[in-house]
Amino acid sequence: MYFLSLRFFLFFPLVVLGYFLLPRRGRSIWLLLASWFFYLCAGPACFAYLLFVLLVSYAGARGLSRCARGRRLLLAGMLVLLFGILFFLKYLNFSLSLLRRLTEALDLPLAVPGLELLLPVGISFYLFTAAGYLIDVYRGRAPEKNFIDFALFLSFFPCLLSGPIGRAGQLIPQFREAHAFDYDRFRAGLLRFLWGAFKKLVIADRLRILVNTVYAAPSDFGRLQVIAAALAFSIQIYCDFSAYSDMALGTAETMGFTLTENFRTPYFSSSVAAFWRRWHISLSNWFRDYLYIPLGGSRRSTGRTYLNVLLVFAVSGLWHGAALSFVAWGLLNGLYQVLEDVGARALHRGGRELREPGRAVVLWQTLRTFLLITVAWVFFKAGSFTHALEIFRAMAAGPWLRRPVSAWGLGRRELAVAAVAVALLFGVDLCSLKEGLRGRLLARSRPVRWLLWLGLLLSVLIFGVYGPGYDAQDFMYFGF
Amino acid sequence: MRKIHRELLWACAFVLTAALLLGLAARALRPVRSSYGATWAAYLAEPKDSLDYLYLGSSYAYCDVDPACVYAESGLSGYVMAGPGQTLSQTYWYLREALKTQTPRLVLLEATALHFEKYEAYSQINVGYMPAGLNKLGAIFTAAEPELRLGLLFDLYFYHSRWSEVTLGEVLRALRGAEPDPLRGFTPVTGTADVSAGGQDRAPQSDAVYQENLADLLRIAGLCAESDISLAVVFHPTYSQLPPATRQAVQADLQEKAPEVAFYDWSEDGKRMGLDPARHYYDPGHLNRDGAEVFSHWLGSFLTAQAGDAAA
Repeated sequence: MYFLSLRFFLFFPLVVLGYFLLPRRGRSIWLLLASWFFYLCAGPACFAYLLFVLLVSYAGARGLSRCARGRRLLLAGMLVLLFGILFFLKYLNFSLSLLRRLTEALDLPLAVPGLELLLPVGISFYLFTAAGYLIDVYRGRAPEKNFIDFALFLSFFPCLLSGPIGRAGQLIPQFREAHAFDYDRFRAGLLRFLWGAFKKLVIADRLRILVNTVYAAPSDFGRLQVIAAALAFSIQIYCDFSAYSDMALGTAETMGFTLTENFRTPYFSSSVAAFWRRWHISLSNWFRDYLYIPLGGSRRSTGRTYLNVLLVFAVSGLWHGAALSFVAWGLLNGLYQVLEDVGARALHRGGRELREPGRAVVLWQTLRTFLLITVAWVFFKAGSFTHALEIFRAMAAGPWLRRPVSAWGLGRRELAVAAVAVALLFGVDLCSLKEGLRGRLLARSRPVRWLLWLGLLLSVLIFGVYGPGYDAQDFMYFGF
Repeated sequence: MRKIHRELLWACAFVLTAALLLGLAARALRPVRSSYGATWAAYLAEPKDSLDYLYLGSSYAYCDVDPACVYAESGLSGYVMAGPGQTLSQTYWYLREALKTQTPRLVLLEATALHFEKYEAYSQINVGYMPAGLNKLGAIFTAAEPELRLGLLFDLYFYHSRWSEVTLGEVLRALRGAEPDPLRGFTPVTGTADVSAGGQDRAPQSDAVYQENLADLLRIAGLCAESDISLAVVFHPTYSQLPPATRQAVQADLQEKAPEVAFYDWSEDGKRMGLDPARHYYDPGHLNRDGAEVFSHWLGSFLTAQAGDAAA
């Protein structure tokens, strides 16, 4: 079941109603059943994987807390099992294709079969949640004894398919709290959901048409058009993924739950390192806590620190997709940060970093970061190395404009709506740099609030890209 | 507590306002339908209880029957309430809705739809344009493809993307109230196909599909009987006819299951009516404007004679 589907619009009010009508003791069970039903809609096979991961991590955590010896081995076994599932389902075909390419290059052709494997939606997210939980228990966190609460922690429907990747310490205590119906939080949650729908349907899915048209045949377009498509993709992926997070956080908020913020206006970052502290925060934090720090983080030599950064970002790239272009995307992001650090160290030696940068400098740094990230996204979107190179070639050579604007797949009116919507997004993101934007909006007078709600609702339903043929499950991050 | 009640009332008012605005937007963006069958808005603009007969069916009805010619011949006022590829399950809901504002004495049903598929790919038009209400809901859930339900319940789902092409004139036209249709559901088609060499037989559906369609026809018959309306089931004189044995089977089934329903098979009576296969057909299945005129005049005199027989 997906947020932007009729089924969800029937499911969600019932869940919320049931949640607030039930006594406190029954609420977790209700939410768990609802979450399982939510995931069962993806198919019983997907649900079986979730159940398996749930049982393994519950039992594993209990085991870790009980045994005094061999804990490290037990944890390693659990992690191998969990990531083994992920490897088998997500990376086996990729590995086999690499093996095939290798044997072909060595002139030792090997018949490597391509396997048709089901990749359960959201598996990367709940596997990472489970793995993080096991490591926490290994590090000394008390394991969760209540199976219902633990199962809900892994299966909570708002964050089950695409995160945010939860932490037990943050979520489980909330399941035990008695959330009374809070009208203000309820409205704030709905507003956030609606804003997510706006970003997804009005911006992301509209830009997707343009981006896909250009990326499908970059050499048919002028370089300005290819560059514009690359910039549009940066906005598209932000709107697509942050929209999902908004809807997840908004859904949870209506019931009184607070999930981890996953995005904090990342394109306003003045460095790539800052960008990664503000983009897909729950995943970045996961990699920081469970991979980067165990690798030594920045406590070892400079060279080792750089290696750790590159390693973490290569793994992050691989997490996003089983293709070399994703690894390249991750490595490029890591490399940016290494170079930034080298630059910062050089400045430090010159004593220049002590000066507070002026507005123009910050603006330039922000713009530079956005462009660097956009270049990296080309690898991400292209899907293959060869295609990425083709896109870069189209950006660098040929006429500036080759085909009329209409060839982008969007009419003039559509482009105008996209431009206005992006400007609105920019404004909202700018305002949200100060805390409590939604709170401030909801505290305005009733006519202003109504205007806001109705304007947003009508914009989504009229200018949104949906309807016959629209695939409600087509959130980019569902693929990861 | 008082604050909760107040907020609840405001929330209800908000939902109503939103529904109103969305309804308005849907109406503005939905294309105005003015041809290829009856339009509900025009039908509802007819004076109440002003029709003597209703003509139901599919394109075989709305291309062939010109109520103005029937009126000229018989003095009977009528309306063709038919849509393209309209199935009998849809016709049932059409009739229920149509009877809310009219009390005709006679319903004529062109029944080729007995051998239509369960869905004929026109539900978006036939059901989507019905007036909002229980009958539309009934049609959506029993007479339209399940995958169309969301769009049929919520027009913007189908038509919202027209914002990028719609003109102000179209919006204003869509928002204006409808006026009666001078053609009363008749859709004349121009062009001539010489069908004198004969047409092709229409392939009957499987027995299971036919039985379902027959059940819908019997529901229509039941509705007519409840409302004290005479029902006549007819086949028009076309060159894409159901095979004779199929038509005879229909007649036999009707005689057995709904003996009160009149059955007229005019499939092979075209020449007797004055229809020229070289001039009066748009294609083997439909009459052109001239053909519809000839047939409708004949129909008018037929109805007059029937009325005379009934009076006698």
